[in-house]
Order: sequence, then structure tokens, then C-alpha cells
Amino acid sequence: MTKIKMETKNLNLWYGEKQALFDINLPIYEKKITALIGPSGCGKSTFLRCLNRLNDLIPNVRIEGEVLLDGKNIYDKDVDVYELRKRVGMVFQKPNPFAMSIYDNVAFGPRIHGIKDKKELDKIVEWALKKAALWDEVKDELHKNALSLSGGQQQRLCIARAIAVKPEVLLMDEPTSALDPISTLKIEELMVELAKDYTIVVVTHNMQQASRVSDYTAFFLMGKLIEFGETEQIFLNPQKKETDDYISGRFG
Amino acid sequence: MDLKKLLRKIDEFKIITLPAIFIVFILFVLILGFYFFNALPAIERYGIDLFITNVWKAAEEPAKEVYGLAAPIWGSIYTATIAVLIALPLSICYAIFVNDYAPKKLKYPLIIISDIMAGLPTIIYGIWGAFILVPLLRDHIMKFLYEHFSFIPLFDYPPLSGYCYLSAGILLGIMVTPFAAAIIREAYAMIPSVYKEGLVALGATRYETTKVLIKYIKPAIISGLILAFGRALGETVAVSLVIGNSFNLTYKLFAPGYTISSLIANQFGNAVLYEYMTSVLYSAGLVLFVVGLIVNIIGLYYLKRWREHVSH
Repeated sequence: MTKIKMETKNLNLWYGEKQALFDINLPIYEKKITALIGPSGCGKSTFLRCLNRLNDLIPNVRIEGEVLLDGKNIYDKDVDVYELRKRVGMVFQKPNPFAMSIYDNVAFGPRIHGIKDKKELDKIVEWALKKAALWDEVKDELHKNALSLSGGQQQRLCIARAIAVKPEVLLMDEPTSALDPISTLKIEELMVELAKDYTIVVVTHNMQQASRVSDYTAFFLMGKLIEFGETEQIFLNPQKKETDDYISGRFG
Repeated sequence: MDLKKLLRKIDEFKIITLPAIFIVFILFVLILGFYFFNALPAIERYGIDLFITNVWKAAEEPAKEVYGLAAPIWGSIYTATIAVLIALPLSICYAIFVNDYAPKKLKYPLIIISDIMAGLPTIIYGIWGAFILVPLLRDHIMKFLYEHFSFIPLFDYPPLSGYCYLSAGILLGIMVTPFAAAIIREAYAMIPSVYKEGLVALGATRYETTKVLIKYIKPAIISGLILAFGRALGETVAVSLVIGNSFNLTYKLFAPGYTISSLIANQFGNAVLYEYMTSVLYSAGLVLFVVGLIVNIIGLYYLKRWREHVSH
């Protein structure tokens, strides 16, 4: 029996007057890949950003309901949001390396979370870059500016940067939509590899990707969670008509 | 019929705008040439000494006239440097506050106020500087520094009038801050949100996030300050009112001095009485022209590079 790592309970979200999420109840299983699929504007990215409270940055956002991480509501007043984001890391749609060296990009997280020792940082940087399958390509130029890397390399650097703080959950917001097919394949292999240690939630527009990499799939439509289940079941035997329509390409 | 088609192909606006562009370009060349031509007699007579010595002997006999512009050239650069050092922290703080911390109701009034301040007639700063700022600085800051810290050479000139390099530098700093702040503010607002989110998502606090973001816009900050430096170099009226107007080639902050533009403003009226003074003032103007041109080109180049860097 797989353990539930995160779970939302009756999660509602409003942007000002406009409601964007309706009563979302979704379990996220530990060390599994959960894919969130659905047409543009269905709320899947908004939902993802509730899991590390990144929506806090946007003014006029109101959230009701609970988001539990190991049973504890992350929206409780006594939660340290910086500590939360250390436990729940994120990789974005567009690779966003910082304008600093490759090394400093990966070391940034560990540094702000208190690791100063140079040797320890060296070890973490090497470990994270190896995990992200980037080490062999950059080990001789760690002090080169990260912006000089290719798009696919930049995205793997962002993954290395995210896992360098040793998160428990990794959120990925369409991590391959800006990449070419070969880089995409590399990232997908990486996701499967990382799922051995991490709980992964991935938003994707690419249905093949969801079916290739994920263990569970959640289908969102207009702010509502239509269907959730094991990926195989969702794709081969969807229970709801909307899900069937979407995955068979009748809309979206 | 064919003629009509042909006429339709003519882009009237292109033709209308051409003379304006042509005039601007010609004016630029003419002004530069005019300055050079008028400066020539003085440059021929005094050679390089005109720019590296500090003398000002106006005499009715042309043979006894001797001029050297070192003090005002130094004064222009020195006061503009002080101005930039003051504008640097102020404009960065302002840009961050307006973008990140100001409540929505305060944000736009703040932007409008600073834009108005950037465009205020400089005489307004000048009078305020001469009557309010200078006495304030003299009584509360210069005297204190002179009495307690005059072992530091920067502070060992007695602040008698208060009209000095420091006053001019501070006034210029206040004047160019809104200008530099506008460039930095715009650059700060242009940072892609995904970049900021990347920092926040790693668990960075607001302070840590802002620190990295400032580093990110460093090219824009540099260009803003270079352009502010150019503005400070050229500023005339306000500086003339607070700098003390005397030939003092010194780094001492409380000493009265000259800048190129305040020199020209002060001396132009009686320059015609002397054989060479007008030409000397043109030479001074030429220096300002060339330095200003270089500074602005560097500043704009940096700004352009930064914009390309962000928008790619």
C-alpha cells in the first residue's frame, strides 16, 4: 500500500472574484509520479502552485480548504513557508537558471538554507548534477555562466538546483514544453529515475508524456477535478465522458 | 494611370520626416564643428596646457592672458562623481520600494512625483540648494566633520560659506536620483516573473530574492548611473549657485570650486572684453561636449545590451 505524501481537501481558490479551483480533493502518493492533465486554463498549474504556496506571490488570491503535507496543513499559520518550499521544490515551464555560474545556481538553495562549508557544497553540487544527468557535460566548466547552456541543459540544471536542497516533493510545471524532442526524452527518463527517491507532481499538456511517465493521472476541466486514478485506468478505461473526450482528442 | 500607381508607391511620411532627420543630423555636426572652430585659437596658443594647468589670468593685453582649465574640468568630474555616489543607493532603494513594497495606492503617485522631479526646471533646485540646502549642510554636517574629523584631508578645508564641491555634489545627487531611479525601476519591473519565482520556490526569503534580483539588473544600474553622471556633468544653473565659483584644484570637499558649465555661465558675460577668453570658454565647452558624448554613448550601449539580454 502506497503512502499518501500530500493531499488536498476541499481546496477552493479565487483570483479576486473569479473562482479558479472548485473543491479539489486529490491524494499524491509518495515516490510516485502524478500527472495533472487538462486543457489550457483548466486550473492544473494553479493547483500545482498551491502545493508550495507559490500563489502567495499573487495579490488578491484567496484559498479555502486544506493542503496536507505528511498530514499537516501547509496553510496553517505556524508553518514556515521557506521551510515548506525547501521540502516541496519546483521546476518551471521555461528554464530559469539564475544569471550566475552553474556551480552557484546549484549551490544557491543549500547556501540560503545554511550550508556554508565549501567541501560540503562541492559534494552537494556534484551529487545534484549527477542526479540530474548533467554532471558529465558540465563538470569541467562549473564556473561558466549558466545562461550559456542549451535549453535542455538549462532545464536539467534547474532540476539539479531544485533537488540540491533535498526536497521531498518535486513539482514540475510543463517541464518539457519549451524543449526539443531529444531533451524532452532525457527529462522524462530523469523523472522516472528521480521518482525512486522523490514524490513528483507534473503538469503536462502532452498526453503521451503523461501516459509514458506517470503512475497516477488527474484530469482537470474548468477548475474542477473530473477524474483521478492510476494512469493506465485513466487512459484505457476512463470513467467519465469528459475524460474520454479529452484523451481521445475530441477537444482541448 | 501609370503615374497614379507610381505616385501611390511614394511613402509620403518617409519624405516628410527626412528633412527633420537631416536637420537634426546637420545641427549636430555644425555645433560640434562650430565649437571646434571657435576653440582653435586658444588650443593653438596654449596647447595641452589649456587642459592640464590651473590658471586664470585675464588681461587687457592679449600677450599677458593665460588660461588653464584643469580646475573646472576636475570640478565637473568630481561633483558628478559625488552625485552618482549619492544617487546609487537612493535610486536602488526607491526602485525596489516602488516595485515590491509600495501599497498600490502609493505606487503610481510615487512614480509620478519622481518623474516630475526629474523634469523640474533646474533653477528651482538651484535656489532651494543655495538658500536651504547649503546652510543646512554647512551648519550641521560640514562644521561637525571639520571640527572632529579634520585630520582626514577630505574634511580639512574650513567650511566658511558652505558653497563648495560637496554642496554641488549633493545637490546634483538629489537632482539626478529621479532620473537614475526611473531607469532602474523600469529594469527591475522588467525582470521575468519566472526568474523571481525560481528564487522563491527554492525557499529564498524576500531579502535573499531581492539581493539576487539586484545583481540581475546590474547592467541596467550601471547604465542608469552612467547616464546620470552625464546629466550631472552638464547641469549648469543649480551648480553655479552652490559651488562657490573659484579656481580650486583640490579634492577637499568643503572648498569652493568650479565646473565647466558653471565657469562658462559665469564668465561668458565679460569674455568679449578679452582676446582669448571666449575661445577658452569654447574649448571648455568642447571638453564637456566630448566627455558628455562618450559618457552617454557608453551608458546607452549598456542599456541596450541589457534590454536585449532580458527580452531574448
